[in-house]
Amino acid sequence: MAWQFILATCSRYSGDRTWGVLLLKYWLTGKINVLLHPNYMWLANVAGFVLLALSLLKSVQLLQIVTQRSARTYFRSLPTMQHFSLFPPGWSSALLLAVAVFGLQFTPQPFASEVALNRGVTDTLAMTRSQPQSFRSTTSPEERSLIDWIRTLDVYPEPDAYTGQQASVEGFVIHPPELPDNYLMISRFVITCCAADTYPVGLPVKLEGSRSTYPPDIWLRVKGSMITETLNGQRQLTIQASQLEEIEEPENPYEY
Amino acid sequence: MSQLNNALTLFFSLMVEAIPFLLIGVVFSSALLLFVDERKLVAAMPRSPLLGALAGSLVGFLFPVCECGNVPVARRLIVQGAPASVAIGFLLAAPTVNPIVFWATWTAFRDQPEIVFLRIGFSLLIATIVGWVFSAQADLRPLLQPTVAQSMSAPQGRLGRRSRRKPVQSTEPASELLQSGTFLLNSSGQPMRMEAVGMQAALAASSITTKPLGDRLQMMLDNVVQELRELGGVLILGSAIAATVQVAIPREVILSLGQGPITSILAMMLLAWVVSICSTVDSFFALSFASTFTSGSLLAFLVFGPMVDVKNIGLLLSVFRTRAIVYLFALAAQLTFLLTLIVNLYVS
Repeated sequence: MAWQFILATCSRYSGDRTWGVLLLKYWLTGKINVLLHPNYMWLANVAGFVLLALSLLKSVQLLQIVTQRSARTYFRSLPTMQHFSLFPPGWSSALLLAVAVFGLQFTPQPFASEVALNRGVTDTLAMTRSQPQSFRSTTSPEERSLIDWIRTLDVYPEPDAYTGQQASVEGFVIHPPELPDNYLMISRFVITCCAADTYPVGLPVKLEGSRSTYPPDIWLRVKGSMITETLNGQRQLTIQASQLEEIEEPENPYEY
Repeated sequence: MSQLNNALTLFFSLMVEAIPFLLIGVVFSSALLLFVDERKLVAAMPRSPLLGALAGSLVGFLFPVCECGNVPVARRLIVQGAPASVAIGFLLAAPTVNPIVFWATWTAFRDQPEIVFLRIGFSLLIATIVGWVFSAQADLRPLLQPTVAQSMSAPQGRLGRRSRRKPVQSTEPASELLQSGTFLLNSSGQPMRMEAVGMQAALAASSITTKPLGDRLQMMLDNVVQELRELGGVLILGSAIAATVQVAIPREVILSLGQGPITSILAMMLLAWVVSICSTVDSFFALSFASTFTSGSLLAFLVFGPMVDVKNIGLLLSVFRTRAIVYLFALAAQLTFLLTLIVNLYVS
């Protein structure tokens, strides 16, 4: 009877345990960067430990019971279990386990240009979005990151005010269909809480030749100077690129 | 292929963000269900219908339970003689008006604090109004399921006198489950509960705070594991729906639906009802719609969702008759719609 019992134990609590393992795996492999804002990572890590502890505690208890009583009594008591629930008994555990096992196989990928186009890239932070936590107007232009530029624009949107300033920003390439062939968009995703609320921001980059040299989704460091261009009937701050350098995709793809 | 990849990344990010809050919610609700004696609470409730409804709505701060835990608690409140206004106020507000849900909503919407505060405010307002309306029914029994009604001996009202009376044991099948649990404990003198044997049903029938501490801790652990497993399943479904909607439905469709002041509210209320996601984690679900839907509709989702959803109906049917549930839902839905429409038209 004991083996049957251990089997029951394992299947019963493996859902919780596997989710614990999965949460800790995201942490240890750094993939948590793709999923969450750093402020909330500790929550996920602690939850991983708690889930593991819970399932261990339950398993130890059940094994103690094996040594004390016959398993038959245990199984006789099983059919009386009843809980108000959406699912038939056991389905929920099975679903949890299946999804967690799948999660262990699956590597989360940071979003790319396709999602950015679908969500609409802008050079403004929408009204509902993260307001600048710290705004350093003293930063010299070439030290501003892409998101710093967007925040600066947010405070003072007149593009002419920045003409001639030097820019050096990093981001991934988007080819927005509405821009002419010698423009690409350099962009980053901004995250507030988790990947579900990421949204892209970006600035147009004016190239010497065709953008096909720089395919979508590669990461670039763009150096150049700021100009004002009229794109789709809108005056927009644009980087006139003087130097484009391909870089590695950063481990943490989001900006905050 | 990359569509699928994006949907999965979204799905796992929602899960990873929501699981810690689900865990906190489940642990708190289990602990408080077992360590707070609601009979004393019932005795302390104000007798005026309006104040009673308000007090009932605020009890959620003492019982941070999500909507899956609050129906059994509301049922115990009714059985132990709480007036209708208190019980209904609690039923509607407790899943939202509590510290854990506040924290989770704050985490998700820290950039739009108005959503966090309006969520709490509207839930409180609606719960109080509906509780007040229901207090017009002095004797709740015609609205209750016969089994619950039988376990209440006298009409509502004289709270002070009723509270001193011993609570009446429920005669429904739930109490048999409780007995089977006791049998397991007695047969060997040690805590032998391996599972929550009809945990919530048993809790609904009697107060548990008289049991020894060790037993209570054991039951708490069982309740945590069991609720985690069940609500985790619901969370998976909810997150899967949210991720699919975001990736699979063309942006134009969502935008046209989500930007209309009326259509967006109706769509989110329908979604809230269908998705049945736990109130401790539903703000993360709503967050994924934050860029495309009106603030009013997000509020509608966050206020209406915890009050009514598919899974809740089954729970409510264990307490109320169908007629009462229809009244409850209709009132709550109309109030939610009205309030969030005001937000859409005049505030944002």
